[in-house]
Amino acid sequence: MKEKLEQRVIGFFAVMVVILAFIASSAVTTIQRTVKSSDWVNKTHDFIIQVNDVLSCLHAGDAALRTYLLTGDPRDQGAYRSAYGEMVDHLSVAKALTRHGEEKDLQNSEVLELEGLIKERIDFTGSVVQSRAQGGLDAARQLMTAHPDVEGMGKIQRLARNITEQENNLLKQRDQEARLEAQATRTKLYTGVGANFVLLVLVVWLMRDDLAARRRATRALEEANAQLEAKVQERTADLVKANQSLKQENLERRWSSQALDHQLRYSQLIINSIYELVFVVSRALNISRINPAVSHQTNWEPQELVAQSLDRVLSLGAEPSAGASQQNPIVFAMHEGREIQDQDAVLLTKSGRTAPVRYSMVPLRDHDKVVGAVITVRLQNGSRKPA
Amino acid sequence: MKKHILSVDDEPDIRELLQEVLTIKGYRVSTAAEPEQAKKIVKEDPPQLIIMDFQIEEGDGFVLIDEFKRMAPNTPILLLTGAVFDRQVVRDTIQKKVASYLDKTASLNTIVSEIERLVGDPGDAAAAS
Repeated sequence: MKEKLEQRVIGFFAVMVVILAFIASSAVTTIQRTVKSSDWVNKTHDFIIQVNDVLSCLHAGDAALRTYLLTGDPRDQGAYRSAYGEMVDHLSVAKALTRHGEEKDLQNSEVLELEGLIKERIDFTGSVVQSRAQGGLDAARQLMTAHPDVEGMGKIQRLARNITEQENNLLKQRDQEARLEAQATRTKLYTGVGANFVLLVLVVWLMRDDLAARRRATRALEEANAQLEAKVQERTADLVKANQSLKQENLERRWSSQALDHQLRYSQLIINSIYELVFVVSRALNISRINPAVSHQTNWEPQELVAQSLDRVLSLGAEPSAGASQQNPIVFAMHEGREIQDQDAVLLTKSGRTAPVRYSMVPLRDHDKVVGAVITVRLQNGSRKPA
Repeated sequence: MKKHILSVDDEPDIRELLQEVLTIKGYRVSTAAEPEQAKKIVKEDPPQLIIMDFQIEEGDGFVLIDEFKRMAPNTPILLLTGAVFDRQVVRDTIQKKVASYLDKTASLNTIVSEIERLVGDPGDAAAAS
């Protein structure tokens, strides 16, 4: 569909170009013809003038001749000779003007006829002048009376008028042709411009739907771009926010880790600084943790005591109030959730030696449940490291 | 001009983390690991807030608090420590010496909120002084 439209538009433009080329060619041809016609008109006018001048000079020469014949004055003879000379010149120019052009044959024949008549006239004039010089005025008068000169003069005048009339007719004809040609050129020009305008309107009409569709597509594309841009911005903002949140979480985690590490080290520092022996035990009296003082006093390494029973390192006296099934006082106290303060016990070292000690026990509570106990053991006054 | 906060702690990780967080928030942060270095900063570039632990190498936190209060009596001190566990003890003793007390186990968000409460917006140091 789109390709078809483009082909049509291109076709219309091609036609418009052809029309414009035709109009331009026609205009150039008309201009050339007009220039040519103008030359012809100028020459024709010049030719008519020359023919009329020939006639005028002939009349002037005749008048001067008659005066000379009457007076015999050589100055009058120069006047007619001068007039005849000019006549011959005008005739030569007229002949030259008829050598070219469409009507040269007809003009040439008439000009040649005129030339012949004028030559006869000049020859006759020469004989009259000679007669005047030899026989005087009477002899010249007799010669003129005997010669049918009036008829020759009339022929020249009729021929000259005929030539002039023919040329004027040709001028009129040419003028009419030029008008018709100009009219035809105007018609071509107006028709061509009108046709081009119609074609242009047709092209615009054909392209109207396509242009509207393109505008719609452009608007849709702009809207899609705007939506995409908004989504990108929204997504970018979300990502920035998520990134900030992640950074914040990361910082929080690092801080928590540092704080817990610090707290742990601080707690450890406190426990490790206690001089008394500290045991953390489970409800079954298995050791879960000791402080360095235990290893220092018993030579047991932590890995040798952890997960072992407290009996391995500390021998307790029986709880007086406990029943037969609960001989261990710590187990009994944990069961009841109470503390034991400063009771006797015996510390057993790795080498098998023993030392009397005093111990205390505090139940270890987690959410109100006793999960074990912390036992602190103090060497009795005066006792030394048993190991 | 950005508000100036001094962080005094002998643990480099704590100092670096606090500096990173508060710089992101828009504060200008100086750090010191030793009392002499901290006092020099307070003297040359008085901060709008001092954050400190009272367990410091080559010094005693309680003594340093008194010295800071003499040098910059209007500067609030935020005690950030993991050494005291009993809240009641804190309320009865330490908190009388400082503007605020927070345990190091508090969340970073809580610590930043407390700092913002004490010094306000990070960007109006001139107004604060």
